Amino acid sequence: MDTDIPDPTGSPAVSLTTTTKSFGPVRAVDGLTLTVPRGQTLALLGPNGAGKSTAIALLLGLIPPDSGQAALFGLAPERAVRRGRVGAMTQEGGLVQRVTVRELLSFVSGTYPAPLPLDEVVALARIGDLLGRRVDRLSGGQAQRVRFAMAVCGDPDLVVLDEPTAALDVEARREFWTGLRGLADQGKTILFSTHYLEEADEQADRIVVLGHGRVIADGTSAEIKRAAALTTVRVTVDGDASWLATLPGVRHMEIRAGRAHLRSGDSDATVMALARAGAVRDLEVVPADLEDAFVALTSTVPATVPATVPATVPATVPATAPTTAPTGKENA
Amino acid sequence: MWGYVRLELTRTLRDGGYVIFAVVMPVVMYVIFTNLGLAPGDRHDAAIYVMVSMAAYGALGGAFNNGSGIAEDRATGWLRQLRLTPLTPVQVVTGKVLTGVVGVVPSIAAVLLAGVLVNHVTLPPQRWLAIIVLLWAGTVPFSLLGLGNGYRLSGQTAAVANVATMLTLSIVGGLWIPAETFPSWLRAIADWTPSNSYAGLSWRVAFGDAPTLRQAAILVAWLLVFAAYAMYGYRRAGRRA
Repeated sequence: MDTDIPDPTGSPAVSLTTTTKSFGPVRAVDGLTLTVPRGQTLALLGPNGAGKSTAIALLLGLIPPDSGQAALFGLAPERAVRRGRVGAMTQEGGLVQRVTVRELLSFVSGTYPAPLPLDEVVALARIGDLLGRRVDRLSGGQAQRVRFAMAVCGDPDLVVLDEPTAALDVEARREFWTGLRGLADQGKTILFSTHYLEEADEQADRIVVLGHGRVIADGTSAEIKRAAALTTVRVTVDGDASWLATLPGVRHMEIRAGRAHLRSGDSDATVMALARAGAVRDLEVVPADLEDAFVALTSTVPATVPATVPATVPATVPATAPTTAPTGKENA
Repeated sequence: MWGYVRLELTRTLRDGGYVIFAVVMPVVMYVIFTNLGLAPGDRHDAAIYVMVSMAAYGALGGAFNNGSGIAEDRATGWLRQLRLTPLTPVQVVTGKVLTGVVGVVPSIAAVLLAGVLVNHVTLPPQRWLAIIVLLWAGTVPFSLLGLGNGYRLSGQTAAVANVATMLTLSIVGGLWIPAETFPSWLRAIADWTPSNSYAGLSWRVAFGDAPTLRQAAILVAWLLVFAAYAMYGYRRAGRRA
């Protein structure tokens, strides 16, 4: 371990600069730029095949990028890992046969310069009942808790989790996030990937949506909903209602059971126009949820949504200022 | 890194395949062979000769088993997880080689103990010391060959390749049946195997002769070949892991 040289102070926990990685003809990560300031909890959200795992492997230094640069705390990823700044939980495997959970964790802890005491790890990952168990005889959810313990036992500054709750049931998932929030409260930087929208919505300070290896949206969950999804305005109509589709803000209209469902990019303008036309009957305005935003953002059909959504720079998180995503070139 | 060696040794000792094939089987075969009188010379000489053969056979089993473990570790993602700890790749490889080096000790010790306790082998202390050192240090080429297979091949294939290599080297190298009894063509092959040279060093010392330069040279030559092979396998595995 080389702990002699301090890392460049103030450099972000994670920094990917126009990284690209192809596997054969498939471009898994395509010019991805991502900066995560220290102390932030960031969710990497995207459907399967969006490039989440590849992005994580790049930033951990597990695979070299074809082009671009990855850095953790201003260091090459391998160096940051060697200094014990990083703990990670990859998606598959990572567990070893014929040892007990206790033996495994004391080994992993022992490789770090200043690990957490075992009882703290036990509390954080809720593995008190598993310490004496053989690692290869755990259930999926138990194994996942042990993997999480391995990621945090070295007391790293950055914790990276690739789909951490994939094998967990609802209850285990809730407990898992409780543990993770404990870490975030200690000021750790946390980056996790998920395809569960509500997890990103509830757990992260910032959400980065990936699609086809690029950032397609970047911001708080509220900002993403605002930027991407369309508010639904519903009114009761009779007769020919096709003129409603031409109202300001309306991008899409559907009539079901005498109700017009107007999907609007500017619900205020839409409602005002309805009022001016005297068409406000049983008005309902339903804000977008993250699910809608996600579908809109990752959909490959450009007709129902603007082909590109600007990656918003969250005003509440000033340190992300240089985040610029190449959003002008959707290849759909 | 010592923590890694300790973890790996714990895993090895709990590996049923290792215990049976590298420790129990050589002892059982030793006791059976010597009591059937299959080896040349008088009874005490046979007990010494086969003791060295079976200790070498067991040590080969331990060395190759360690290599198969690498393929298993790759398949389960454990090697990848190790890359996410502060351990350096050099520490991981060194740790695995050390595990192999220490892991052959029980195999050698078990057969030598059986020699003393069951077959009442007596040797001058300096000869005991010399064969222990030669049997132990001489496993390094086989550890490297096993690791090369483990890095280069996938889990199940690596295990099969390692067992096949281990058995071939044991039989052709004259560890099961003395090479002196082979037909001349097979004998000629045996003379060039690393396993025959490896056991040959200790056979000669056990009977009070100095090892031949030829035996030492052949073993060192194979050491270099297998080291290069292990390095090649490691580099290849590194590109995929």
